[in-house]
Amino acid sequence: MTSSTTPPVTDSSTSQTPSTSAVLTSIPRPSSPAGSYYAMSDDEEGDYNTITHASSGRGVKLLYTKSKVYIHPTPSAKDNIPGYIALLQQRHQHRDDRPSSRDSSSTPASSDLLLAWVPESQLGEAANLYVKVDLCDGDSPPKQSYLVPPPPTVTTHRGSVGPYAFAIPVSAVYSLLIRPPSVGWWWGSIIINSRAGDSFPALFFHDSECQSTILQKKKRTADTFDPFGDAGQMFWGGDEVLRWLKRYVQVERSGAEPNIYLVEPSREDSVAFGGKPTTSQQQQAGSSSRGPGGGPGARGEAGMDPFVKLIKEAGWNLMEKFSKVTTFTRQAANDVLDNPRVPPQMRRLLRNPEVQTLQDEFDSARIYLARWAMGIAEQSDRDRSRRTWTARDVMELEDTDVGEFELVDGANSLSLEERRRVLTLKEWKGFFDERTGRLSVTVDEVKERIFHGGLDPEDGVRKEAWLFLLGVYDWYSTADERKAQAASLRDAYIKLKGGWWERQVDLGGEGEEGEWWREQRNRIEKDVHRTDRNVPIFAGEDIPHPDPDSPFASTGTNVHMEQLKDMLLTYNEYNKGLGYVQGMSDLLAPIYAVLQDDALAFWAFQHFMDRMERNFLRDQSGMREQLLALDNLVRFMDPKLYAHLESADSTNFFFFFRMLLVWYKREFEWADVLRLWEALWTDYLSSGFHLFIALAILERHRDVIMTHLKHFDEVLKYVNELSTTIDLESTLIRAEALFQRFRRLIEAIDRKEHFPAPRRTLSTVSSSSASAALADAKRSSSKSPSPPLPARPQSGPRAASPPAAAATTKVNEGKTTAEEDKEENVEKIVTPALRKLLSREVEIIRAPVREGAGYPTRERA
Amino acid sequence: MSSNRNYDFLIKLLLIGDSGVGKSCCLLRFSEDSFTPSFITTIGIDFKIRTIELDGKRVKLQIWDTAGQERFRTITTAYYRGAMGILLVYDVTDERSFNNIRTWFANVEQHATEGVNKILIGNKCDWEEKRAVSKEQGQALADELGIPFLEVSAKANINIEEAFFSLANDIKKRIIDTSSKEASGGSSGVNVADNSGSGSGGKCC
Repeated sequence: MTSSTTPPVTDSSTSQTPSTSAVLTSIPRPSSPAGSYYAMSDDEEGDYNTITHASSGRGVKLLYTKSKVYIHPTPSAKDNIPGYIALLQQRHQHRDDRPSSRDSSSTPASSDLLLAWVPESQLGEAANLYVKVDLCDGDSPPKQSYLVPPPPTVTTHRGSVGPYAFAIPVSAVYSLLIRPPSVGWWWGSIIINSRAGDSFPALFFHDSECQSTILQKKKRTADTFDPFGDAGQMFWGGDEVLRWLKRYVQVERSGAEPNIYLVEPSREDSVAFGGKPTTSQQQQAGSSSRGPGGGPGARGEAGMDPFVKLIKEAGWNLMEKFSKVTTFTRQAANDVLDNPRVPPQMRRLLRNPEVQTLQDEFDSARIYLARWAMGIAEQSDRDRSRRTWTARDVMELEDTDVGEFELVDGANSLSLEERRRVLTLKEWKGFFDERTGRLSVTVDEVKERIFHGGLDPEDGVRKEAWLFLLGVYDWYSTADERKAQAASLRDAYIKLKGGWWERQVDLGGEGEEGEWWREQRNRIEKDVHRTDRNVPIFAGEDIPHPDPDSPFASTGTNVHMEQLKDMLLTYNEYNKGLGYVQGMSDLLAPIYAVLQDDALAFWAFQHFMDRMERNFLRDQSGMREQLLALDNLVRFMDPKLYAHLESADSTNFFFFFRMLLVWYKREFEWADVLRLWEALWTDYLSSGFHLFIALAILERHRDVIMTHLKHFDEVLKYVNELSTTIDLESTLIRAEALFQRFRRLIEAIDRKEHFPAPRRTLSTVSSSSASAALADAKRSSSKSPSPPLPARPQSGPRAASPPAAAATTKVNEGKTTAEEDKEENVEKIVTPALRKLLSREVEIIRAPVREGAGYPTRERA
Repeated sequence: MSSNRNYDFLIKLLLIGDSGVGKSCCLLRFSEDSFTPSFITTIGIDFKIRTIELDGKRVKLQIWDTAGQERFRTITTAYYRGAMGILLVYDVTDERSFNNIRTWFANVEQHATEGVNKILIGNKCDWEEKRAVSKEQGQALADELGIPFLEVSAKANINIEEAFFSLANDIKKRIIDTSSKEASGGSSGVNVADNSGSGSGGKCC
């Protein structure tokens, strides 16, 4: 310690601090921190309940604490030590020393307060209390006082703290060096400088791991709409520490060194560090450290500068981090959301000239901010009210170049809200004849209800209805027939399973076939252990693994994961030409989780795979075909967006690969996936409705894409990171509106084509005449209201195509070159891929079954 | 705008190897310094960014992560072309993944740009009791293929930094240092952004 860093003795009570020579003062500790601290007793203050040490009554009062505050003893992250920073209050042994300036009987003296850090590993039984107080999130300390073992009290830091707890009396704290998260300091940190003149190791606030900070952030943004704190500063864990301290002692931000906060400074200190006169009145105020007129920078609670300044200073480095840390991005988006007022705010922020400059300078900032703003908008959609979306709402909200959306409800007498009412088990049961159990309404009526309203997630109706939707049960079967069907399917599953079960004895047998079998089994094993593990039934490992050679032998497994493995292995055998391919476990898990019956789930999955098989073909032709259809669809519906994507080398639409492969399984939360899939399974409007979902997502993000995304990698990243930020209900409505518009456009084109004179090979119409025709269509449709799908199903689950598709027009077979469509007034070409989208017929493309071999050529040869 | 780019060089890397060897975990460790034991399978393709400093230059690494299963090879090989460096990853507890490295290597030779830098990575080296491929075997294969080799652990954070840095360094030496000796030309697909003059906002620390 040098005299230059040792603060002058102050005129306040701080001169009474424990001697600086006492490196470790002798605060008595209970013999073992593992002693019980949970017994209830009365504190000597008697005015609130106290949890105190049962035997000795010793312990210090835990006023505030915050978790996930780390010491980084070495540069390597694996050495980081997680702990709690805490403000503790010891007994009032120094009551006489109370500074006169803060003479309030309820306020402890600074010498009674301890600023402490305790590693998680040393909390012992007190851990629960720390967690509790951390999550209290009150403006005042908890009503109940929680007593915890006192950490060793020190007034100075010598050598390494290492994994050991310490506590320093606040009166022995000279200043705090507070660095909010910024460039090079990804974590915000606090360094305690003691009056003895030395510094404690930096305490790093891992805010992204700290539940209380996350909650507080959420709350603030919900209350204020502003993610950055009161005055544009980003909220972080260190703010809280300052807030606690300020409740008890005077903390003053240094004007000269904005990162320095002086604790109970003397007047000399204030002047020396402040670089500005500090009136005694301000000193006495105590509760505020804000200097007068110190500019926006001085207003921050913990030195976090206003956002604009922050990102300016942080520059590319921070923005890089924003863009790369997906979880952070999501977290940030989630944090801010919860509030419908946000979008205009964000828009304003994005319009801020400084931010605009920054966006121009830094690609990642630009994209990051845009994505963020969209995330906020999504959330506000979600908040607006979950199930009362109307097409009108969507239209009002969205300014799209696709042209005005057709009203989905049209002349339908049912209100949209009524139509989007969830289908309950009770209503479902009402569809069936009581005596025979046969469906007594049309399949289309049922499908319409499921498509628009979805099935009740709580009452078990899915368990029944999914079996119909997936074709396990015939729609017009009787209850008895279904019973028989279920029984025979159970037998069949057991037989199939027995087939490979026997092979397991010799591990699949010898030769290439055996090798392939083992490889597939390992693949399934690995994939199941990383499929939907956050869903309760697949979480946890409560049974030992049956195979000691499995890589998961030491982790264990659970019965549902084992069922998934069996079903996938069975399917691997059942459909040998295809085999198990990654992504299938994603498709099976929801079905099994809903049906909770392995045999029925297997067959439901098998039916689902009929339509999904094309996604997994070896030559990827099925995926290519769908991506091409999406290409055609976007070009047809939104030529401007298409032209932009073309300029960004993105018309391969590869950024929709994942979405199409597993039907948005990775893009939506679990509950939404179930809702989306059952809507898609109805094929109510089109068996290619999943492509309209893709179009709806693109349209939603159209502005960001067109303004900000200029290269394929940017588009891919942006779209990949939409995952779990997309609002399902509004997407479904948008997709439906887009479909209706699509169909009317095609109808208009077809009409034009037949009248006055059919063209020879091309079915085209300029968009201006298309809209004229469209207007006609509108007029006529409003005169003669008709449901979206006039066709009634004759029988069987697959209804005929709507009449619109029946119009046979010759179309251009070849893929048109991209250049043709750059302008708005391009000719709209109805490609075969587009016409297919009007069909409700499910297309099944099977993998070729290889003769003789009984198994496909080895996956890796 | 491009004159204001916030990095000096852009290097594209690609992770390949059997499914389940831990490609995504290695990438997560390198880009975000975190690890999650129950990861999800990678479908399609994605990338992450990390900017590092090499010899005083900001090097932006764009690291592409691919699905491991052969079935998606037609999709993933499309990304070989643009890669300047490829990490061939196997799992030291999974002999099959090691044996398949030759196939992966052949794929690289077939689809990637000629002379692309490669490195052989044996992941999960912290899992000694399950080890099925010795370090010597790994080294021998690397020698045979004529590429560098490192055993790493994304979980225990062993050698992950080293793996990416050493590959990036090799690439910088191969492409950037040699091409900058010539006129300041951004040939060979290297995104060389002149950032020396601007300094706007790039000043940190």
